[in-house]
Amino acid sequence: MSTQAAPGAAPRLFHPHFAGHDQISARTLGFWLYMLSDALIFAAVFAAYAVLNNRMGAAGGPIAPQVTNPLEGLWQTYAVLGSVATYSLGTVALKSGNKAGVMLGIILAIALALVFLGFEAHDLLGLMARGDGVTRSGYLSAFIILIATHGLHMVFGIIWMLVMLVQIPTLGFSANVVARLLNLRMFWQFQATIWVVIYVYVYMIGAF
Amino acid sequence: MSAPHTNPLDHPEVRMASAWRYISGFIASMVLMQAAFIVTLRQHPPYEQYALTIAGLALASLVSQAALFFGLDISRAQIWKSVSLVLTVPLFVLSVGLTVWMFQSLAARTMLMPATTMQPTLLQ
Repeated sequence: MSTQAAPGAAPRLFHPHFAGHDQISARTLGFWLYMLSDALIFAAVFAAYAVLNNRMGAAGGPIAPQVTNPLEGLWQTYAVLGSVATYSLGTVALKSGNKAGVMLGIILAIALALVFLGFEAHDLLGLMARGDGVTRSGYLSAFIILIATHGLHMVFGIIWMLVMLVQIPTLGFSANVVARLLNLRMFWQFQATIWVVIYVYVYMIGAF
Repeated sequence: MSAPHTNPLDHPEVRMASAWRYISGFIASMVLMQAAFIVTLRQHPPYEQYALTIAGLALASLVSQAALFFGLDISRAQIWKSVSLVLTVPLFVLSVGLTVWMFQSLAARTMLMPATTMQPTLLQ
């Protein structure tokens, strides 16, 4: 297909019915832009947390040093980074069309994600059990919503991985399945990136 | 123009997967977070110095993740992701920073709190 225009004519920019566009790249870029907008949701929650992270926001209730544990957060960091690494290594197996390798990476990623969520659930349920729930204070509202928003993303990622564990053996590495696996890789890495920010800002700086 | 590809596994974003890059990203992020944790445990420096140190380690971790996990660069396959990220990061920082600044200023003018009850923040 020629992109040359006749002298004096306007250059041809696109072909409306041309079906040869890179469908996989279009889907990954579109999903990437969605994730960047998702990051701005986290920005809003971080801003709320930053504003309410003071004794007045705590309204006599606990504040960061009483509700966060940097060591426990470090184990969670290892778990989420390990989960991202195992999923990513699974996509290395994708290059050779190795279904077992990709599925093994996904299964390990799910296992480590469940470890991460176990820590998170333990923290949040423990807070609520002693009456420090989301209605206790502005600070706890912001803290719990921040942690739960990230945890909800992790849950959706696990559901997505379970779907891929069904689609890989049934549909094979079709263009749709490959695009979904690439998008899932970005989504999963994004969760680790957000967690690093949460860990540093809430668990470390908050514990100072 | 090169020949069209019909196998999705030949796509550049599939071919860019690299075991050494992912393992390096994992190790780099682990080491940086471990270092931040050790700095937190010691808690010797003043708050501003501590916050800057931790923020620097976090930034290094995020950059290593962007380069090694996400594989962001200026290649043909990745350039628009890199550009959109560079344009979004200031929005993220401004969203959080301006909100904190606005409420910090508001609190200083309207909330009569003894200094001893104030929690240190990034702006103090």
